[in-house]
Amino acid sequence: MDLENTKAQMRKGILEYCILSVLSRSSCYASDIIRELKEARVIVVEGTLYPLLTRQKNSGLLSYRWEESQQGPPRKYYELTPAGKEYLADLDRAWDELVESVNLIRSR
Amino acid sequence: MDKTININLGGILFSIDEEAYHILRDYLQAIDLRFRHTPGGNETIEDIESRIAEIFQSQKGLAGVINRRNVEDMIAIIGKPEDFGQVSEEETKYVYTGAQRKKLYRNTDDRIIGGVCGGFGAYLDTDPVWFRILFAVLALMFGIGFFIYLALWITLPSAVTESQKKEMYFSNQRRLSAIESNNNQQYPYSSRAGNAINEVFRAIGKVLFICLRIFLIIIGVSLVAGGFLALLAFFMVFIFKYPGAFSTNIEGVHLSYLPDFLNYIISPAIVPWTKVLITLTITLPLLAIIYGGIKMIFWFRARDGFVLLGGFILWLLCAAALSIILFNEGISYVETARSTSRDYFKNVPDTLYIVSGTKLSDIKYDNEISVPDEDYEIFISDEKKELYLRTFIDIEPAEENSVSLEINKYSAGRNRNDAIHKAEKLIYNYRISGDSLVIDEFCRIPPERKWSFDEVRLKVFVPEGTIIIMDRVTESLYHSRDEDDFISDPRNRLWFMTGEGLDRIEHRWRTEK
Repeated sequence: MDLENTKAQMRKGILEYCILSVLSRSSCYASDIIRELKEARVIVVEGTLYPLLTRQKNSGLLSYRWEESQQGPPRKYYELTPAGKEYLADLDRAWDELVESVNLIRSR
Repeated sequence: MDKTININLGGILFSIDEEAYHILRDYLQAIDLRFRHTPGGNETIEDIESRIAEIFQSQKGLAGVINRRNVEDMIAIIGKPEDFGQVSEEETKYVYTGAQRKKLYRNTDDRIIGGVCGGFGAYLDTDPVWFRILFAVLALMFGIGFFIYLALWITLPSAVTESQKKEMYFSNQRRLSAIESNNNQQYPYSSRAGNAINEVFRAIGKVLFICLRIFLIIIGVSLVAGGFLALLAFFMVFIFKYPGAFSTNIEGVHLSYLPDFLNYIISPAIVPWTKVLITLTITLPLLAIIYGGIKMIFWFRARDGFVLLGGFILWLLCAAALSIILFNEGISYVETARSTSRDYFKNVPDTLYIVSGTKLSDIKYDNEISVPDEDYEIFISDEKKELYLRTFIDIEPAEENSVSLEINKYSAGRNRNDAIHKAEKLIYNYRISGDSLVIDEFCRIPPERKWSFDEVRLKVFVPEGTIIIMDRVTESLYHSRDEDDFISDPRNRLWFMTGEGLDRIEHRWRTEK
């Protein structure tokens, strides 16, 4: 088994959840999301994020609007759609269950 | 210095050096390969491009040239495509959405002149032929269409990169997917009739383009030839003082003497600087004209912005410095004043002889400058560094019974006193001996003094009834203002003072008497 690969798989699983969590607080510009995820050490390289954002948007969890920016071209601001909020609430529950399960197993 | 390349990344222009450009290109290609076939891949690629632009901007601002380090740092932040994680199978379910912004470009893939109509066609997803007809009709109405077209040609950017083409073909899914698969089929809009008309336009466009090129070449050749001749003339006259074909009289002023004359109108210390400034002020625009002509002939683009800007700034500085010098020197000529003295004959002769003392033909001078319409002539002796000015003589009836000579010296100075002082210093020689007035043909400006509009005018007052005999030279000084009257017959140089003024005694009248 490759440790790095396993870690990457684990991270990837929770990454989508983290993105939605960040966006649940307020609508965000891609770089803001990146900053938070980097601070939380969920992602290493930024490139990981963009395909996920596209995917979530295409599946209706996110939407974005263009906003003018002072320096440079307009930026995309992402926000959760109602479907995204529901989806996130489901994930929240699932995460709690997961943590509980893992803790239960580890503390035995 | 390395070559730099301008790139458009996420809507922002950057300069990037060649090495960095290759790394960036490979990186973007890798990203393109990684996402091209995933649904929404284009959007992801665009998002990443925007982010790259943002990173570059934070590294360099918009001014600096992006180098290899910048690109490597950027790649470290965004990561290599292989670090982005696996492509999951579910991704293939999503539908392709395409480019996000619709933008008007010039379509150089479908163009007749500049691709403006092609661009409109792509933008509105219509056959460009309609716009071509519209512009052609508008062009027939006082050329309106021509000018609108020209303005659009200049202002609209052309769609060069793939992403620009996608923005251009935003509304045309068929064309978009053609770009996706690198299958650039031509003229995707036109019906058969449209195509035929487009072909006609294409042929007209080609002819127009050739005409334009020929026109530009003709203009270019004339610019180069004209500029070169002017440059040659300038150097011949100004640097080599060649008094040949180019030193033609412009209104009586011999151009080729101007550089020498500078020594007499500008403080000697700054003459060399002034000459350099004059040379630059004249040659820089000529060089620019020649260069512009060459560009028109050979129709090339060059990264000459900085050179042109630099040259223009240099020219402005030279012209400004020259103006300041000329203004400063001009200040010493603002006020003109006269210094007058009068000398009386001891006895009152019946016949007055006005004869010439030193003549201009007696002295050695190198150059001669004449002011048109004024009969004002300056003679320059470079050897002695002296200027000589032709004098004028007037003869008027005296109020009392005496013969006198009034000498009026004029000079210009920075104020009245200065002008009078300069006028007094003008050197003029004359002599009264018996019945004769001996006058020099010219006055002299003292050595080492600048020329300042100096002039000496003589006035001879004689009582009515006096006969005056002049020699050829003095008569020319009297006559110089109406040459038509000049009579070379020596027997006719006989004058008589009437109550109204001097009158010529006709030869015939004299013999009859």
